[in-house]
Amino acid sequence: MTDTQALLSPDRVLAGQAKVTQVVNELRTVIIGKEQVIDEVVTALLARGHVLLEGLPGLGKTELVKALSRLLSLEVRRIQFTPDLLPTDVTGSLILQDRGGTREFMFHEGPIFTNLLLADEINRASPKTQAALLEAMQERRVTTFGVTRQLPSPFFVLATQNPIELEGTYPLPEAQLDRFMFKVDIAGVDQQVLEHILVTRVHGEPPPLSPVLGAADLADLFALVDEVHLPRAVANYIARLVAASHPGSAEAPNAVKTFVKFGSSPRAAIAMGAASRGLAILRGKPNVGFDEVRRVAAAAMAHRLVLDYAARLEGWDGRRVVGALLEAVPEVERGLPKALEARPV
Amino acid sequence: MVMPHPTAHVQPSLARLRRRLTVGLFLEIWPIWAAAALVLIGTVIVVCRVFVPAAAPVLPWLWLIPAATAIPVFAMCLRRAYQPDQVAAIADSLAGGQGILLTLFETGDPAWAESQLAAGASQFQLPRLQLRPALSVLIPAAMFVVAAMLVPQRIPSQAADGVLAKEVSANLTAAIVELKKQELITPEEEQKLREEVSRIERSAEKRMDASTWEAADALREKMNAGLSDKQSAVKWAQDSAARFSAAMQAGGPGDPKAAASAAELMQALEKLAQSGLLGGASQELKGLLKSGKLPTDAAALAALMASVGGELANANGKLAGLGNATGAFGRFNPEEFATGQSPDGDGAPGRGGVNRGRADAELTWGRETARVDTFKSKPLPPGAPRSPDDWAPVVVLPGAPQESAVPGAQSAGREYAAAAGQGAWRRSLAPRHQTAVKKYFDTTQPKKSGGGR
Repeated sequence: MTDTQALLSPDRVLAGQAKVTQVVNELRTVIIGKEQVIDEVVTALLARGHVLLEGLPGLGKTELVKALSRLLSLEVRRIQFTPDLLPTDVTGSLILQDRGGTREFMFHEGPIFTNLLLADEINRASPKTQAALLEAMQERRVTTFGVTRQLPSPFFVLATQNPIELEGTYPLPEAQLDRFMFKVDIAGVDQQVLEHILVTRVHGEPPPLSPVLGAADLADLFALVDEVHLPRAVANYIARLVAASHPGSAEAPNAVKTFVKFGSSPRAAIAMGAASRGLAILRGKPNVGFDEVRRVAAAAMAHRLVLDYAARLEGWDGRRVVGALLEAVPEVERGLPKALEARPV
Repeated sequence: MVMPHPTAHVQPSLARLRRRLTVGLFLEIWPIWAAAALVLIGTVIVVCRVFVPAAAPVLPWLWLIPAATAIPVFAMCLRRAYQPDQVAAIADSLAGGQGILLTLFETGDPAWAESQLAAGASQFQLPRLQLRPALSVLIPAAMFVVAAMLVPQRIPSQAADGVLAKEVSANLTAAIVELKKQELITPEEEQKLREEVSRIERSAEKRMDASTWEAADALREKMNAGLSDKQSAVKWAQDSAARFSAAMQAGGPGDPKAAASAAELMQALEKLAQSGLLGGASQELKGLLKSGKLPTDAAALAALMASVGGELANANGKLAGLGNATGAFGRFNPEEFATGQSPDGDGAPGRGGVNRGRADAELTWGRETARVDTFKSKPLPPGAPRSPDDWAPVVVLPGAPQESAVPGAQSAGREYAAAAGQGAWRRSLAPRHQTAVKKYFDTTQPKKSGGGR
């Protein structure tokens, strides 16, 4: 036992949870039947991470981002990525302007200078333009013409991409993918959800939303998330999970050894820790547990695994590999002896 | 006021979990150790059964070794015991992995100690003991030990040698005791014989082989030879006494023959005394031996001769009554075969058993019919093949000898030889060569000088 450390007080945690829950509930009125997607997006938001949403057209990706921007009363900009989009179209450029009779270059900020950037169909832009996002996403700043400019805080990139119609697209490089905290797969909706949408929305328009959280509230929430306690055993679990995602690791399960070429980066471990903290606040807890790690593992790790071609042949994707990883790696480093069996909770 | 630790209410559960973990750890390690010990024991048992018979009494106690391994395993479990933070982590995982137990354990902040979250996390269930899988490894190992115990114990050769050595020693000692009982050996002879017996026994205990039997037989021969000598001495003394009595009756004490017979009798008696056969003699006889002179008067001489005759008869009776006391062991006795006591046959050479005779004797297995009666000479019919394998006529050409209607016994052989020769002639020579060969072997025609073959 260590000396006494201050945990988040129950009042603060419950207050933060209430705010976040409000956002979540409002989002659920807009995006119906996508509770897990909403939880993951909000979790990444609390952890100040960028999210890549992947799904077929018409599943509400853009609508989710738009609803989130309305709820958070943040400045939102949207870039529709196309192959002819230039990096300066994203970051901004120097424009020659006439000011009081003198003509000088003035920096005209691109759409990236915002709080919430919706990068729609990001994989349609050229790698050069995609690379313009790298510094912004990681450092939260933009360097153009030798001048570095800070992006407003908070800064989130919510990008979408389409898994079909891949002609004329540029798959995101691994370095770009690694910048996204979560990659959220959006699946189709079931019959009941469609029926509900048809009944409640005449033209498919979402219900009107009013801002729930301001910038100050978000700052408070971010501070709250940072104070969530991460026990050593849980941190050890995250570290072992990430280490085991490498095929050369001794703890790597067969699925990893067979289908993974390169495992997750340390950035994955950091993302999992941060996301687990965000999820803990969403659940009203002052600490991270093994369960939070399990919940965020797939979204945080799957897109960071570089899979072998055999995985595609065998029908394995990143999430399935992470599932195998979660089954293989025990939560506690020194677990139960073989002569003991845990009873189901 | 000291605030209780936020995990204080969970400590009893954590303590129970820790004990359960220690038991699980023990069951994880001990079966492997015990199985290894059982395999080792099984191997040791097999080796001892086959190669180290002397260790047989210790083998049943080897079952204690697997139980004894529990002690070091228990010490190892205590040394490897789960630390409190590890126990807390396992408890938290068992409770659903909420992390609250870990957090309270690490931070010690009581703010959440009374929360519903903490209350739910503290109610974890202890893990279940899996005895069957844990102990299953012992089953094949135990079966191996049982199988090893079923391996028959090889009889220790040393023990067999010891038994035989004692048997040999006992027989020899019995012979000595019998000789002593009959007062046929002196104490010095007995001492020497006993030393010889003990030497043979010691040698046999180390290694029982043919030399041991030879040594025992040699000792018996020695005892028999001693008895034979004594028997000869008694006979000599009896003959000397008879000659002395005859000389005394014929010529009286002054006769030179009587004097010579008296000297011979004294020598024979001294030899008997030296061999211990006169140990129970009368005082008169002992006095005579001491003085070395025979009495001269007739009455004393007659009494002495009666005494000598009695002693000699007694000694002779002892020797005769001893019978086969020294020779009943280990020696071949042909008489046994005559009476059918031995499976070695009837003693005739070549009739089975160890006495089947010299190496070149004809071996028979029973009372077969005499060979002379088995077969009678019977001439084969002329032209009959000696053996079916020899030959068989393929075709009979003109000029082949004809079988006579009633062949005589003596002519049959000649005809057979002629027919066989004709057959060989026909088979081996082509007609165009027959003339040349006939000329070569024809001694009636003169050969050309310097001619070829």
